[in-house]
Amino acid sequence: MDEIVGLAPSGSMGSGYNLEAFERGLAANPHFIGQDAGSTDMGPYYHGTGTPFLPLATYRHDLSFMLRAARHRRIPLLVGSALTSGCNSSLQLAVRIVGEIAREHGLSFRMAVISAEIDKADLKRRLARETFESLGPDGALTPETIDRCGPIAAQMGTEPFIRALDAGAEVVIAGRACDDAIFAAMPIMQGFDKGLSLHCGKILECAGLSAIPYDLAEPLLGRVRRDHFEVEPCHPDHRCTTVSVAGHSLYERGDPCLQPGPGGMNDLTDATFTQLDARRVKVSGSRFIPDATYRVKLEGAEQVGFRSIVIVGIRDPVMIRQIDSILEEARQRAEDRFKAAGAFNLLYRIYGKNAVMGPLEPEVETRSHELGLVIDVVAPAQDLATGIAMFVRGTLQHASYPGIVTTAGNMAYPFSPFGIPVGPAYRFAVYHLMALKDPCECFPMTIEEVRN
Amino acid sequence: MAAQAQRLDQLAKVIRSKNAGPFELTFDIMFDDPAAYDWVKKSGVINAKRIAEAYRVRVDDVLVCRPYDAAVAFKITIRRPVSSGDIGDRDVYGCQQHVPLTQIEVPAFRAAAG
Repeated sequence: MDEIVGLAPSGSMGSGYNLEAFERGLAANPHFIGQDAGSTDMGPYYHGTGTPFLPLATYRHDLSFMLRAARHRRIPLLVGSALTSGCNSSLQLAVRIVGEIAREHGLSFRMAVISAEIDKADLKRRLARETFESLGPDGALTPETIDRCGPIAAQMGTEPFIRALDAGAEVVIAGRACDDAIFAAMPIMQGFDKGLSLHCGKILECAGLSAIPYDLAEPLLGRVRRDHFEVEPCHPDHRCTTVSVAGHSLYERGDPCLQPGPGGMNDLTDATFTQLDARRVKVSGSRFIPDATYRVKLEGAEQVGFRSIVIVGIRDPVMIRQIDSILEEARQRAEDRFKAAGAFNLLYRIYGKNAVMGPLEPEVETRSHELGLVIDVVAPAQDLATGIAMFVRGTLQHASYPGIVTTAGNMAYPFSPFGIPVGPAYRFAVYHLMALKDPCECFPMTIEEVRN
Repeated sequence: MAAQAQRLDQLAKVIRSKNAGPFELTFDIMFDDPAAYDWVKKSGVINAKRIAEAYRVRVDDVLVCRPYDAAVAFKITIRRPVSSGDIGDRDVYGCQQHVPLTQIEVPAFRAAAG
């Protein structure tokens, strides 16, 4: 075998993808279809609750086409980080959807399901034996933090995928996984270079985001060969360029050249990018440097309270000129009113002033003729959070300030109801490295024969 | 002097920010003209101290700040002052934090050629 061709339908399952371009990708006879289905990117809520980012129907739509295409062509479909956090409950939702699609279309296949969630008792035992290096959270990881977190999952590398393919799996549905591992498993399994395979996987995982025009919903093809790989968008009018591909090597990674993952570092220092024709780029020189200890990244989010919000618009120019002092007075009143209720956090998000950058906002003068205000409260209980947000709203609604002309009310409400209970609020609290003796030891696999 | 300086967004093709995991914010400054990239690189204006000032973090919290020739780009990564989605965060994806970089002043490129 002189190459392994991988097809990535989209950069994020559930967001949809160009089916016509996907068909063109299939015509290139890929050896597998790979799809990333999760991330920490959308924030801690999805890791905290273990719920998927999107409604299940969107995943069903995207999965249906790729599953049928994979079975029709008898090539493996590998899905990683199902769904969003890759914890067990979200993984089971993905497995259920796959089963439904298989029944609907009469598909039969061998399916491997790989879980990535770590049993908390096991995690605490490991924590008692070794320290976990933090990749962000302050302070040492404690058993109490583990208890406060929702499901905690580890990011698997290529090995659990390879084990599934070795077991003859035709469909692999995996919990939390490194994005690039989904795509690197098959080439590595066939003896291709690990550095090139992972680098190609890193380009493929976001699909058309490394082509021009940038589009997450455009399928991408990657061909891993002995001493290089090639990438090509499936859309005939889209192109990969050396800059778009090298640029994507940077995307969402801290260092341009040294990209750590399970079991080692992918070193792109000597990577070279060559334009083959108008649409294809060749990459060589990426090197995988193994670590002495195989470590995987753990992810978990702890609950910090409950959030409630009120969204309003402010149009009066006299009020806009004095917005900061008016808001601070309302804050004072809320702190006095609720001081017995325990600690809470009130954040004013003033769109049109500095909501996006806060104190880093370089524009000091507010020129907007209207402001959007999100009164954002996080408190120990949902009703308390809603009560505080509504108190602040009420105070602001009838606040008096110098020069006031609009004494019937200060704020426009976009809809009723006003107070919105958002639900539990989380923060990422586990983002640590854990050592493994075997790259598969915390990623148990079950094999199911799906027959229809 | 304004006449002899240009803002970075007049020279770069892409200036973007994004999370690199929930605890880091990473910036890519990308050029379509290698000569403009070289010019900015040689000027030395993109350095950890300047980035620390722009984002009001300690110089130690500027984890990466370096040119990357293969992508005709600069790569900058800082520790997020607030982790993604935590209380007080303002940009869960971290994808709208690039503006201070656009305003970095660079000595005028090809000033003589106009």
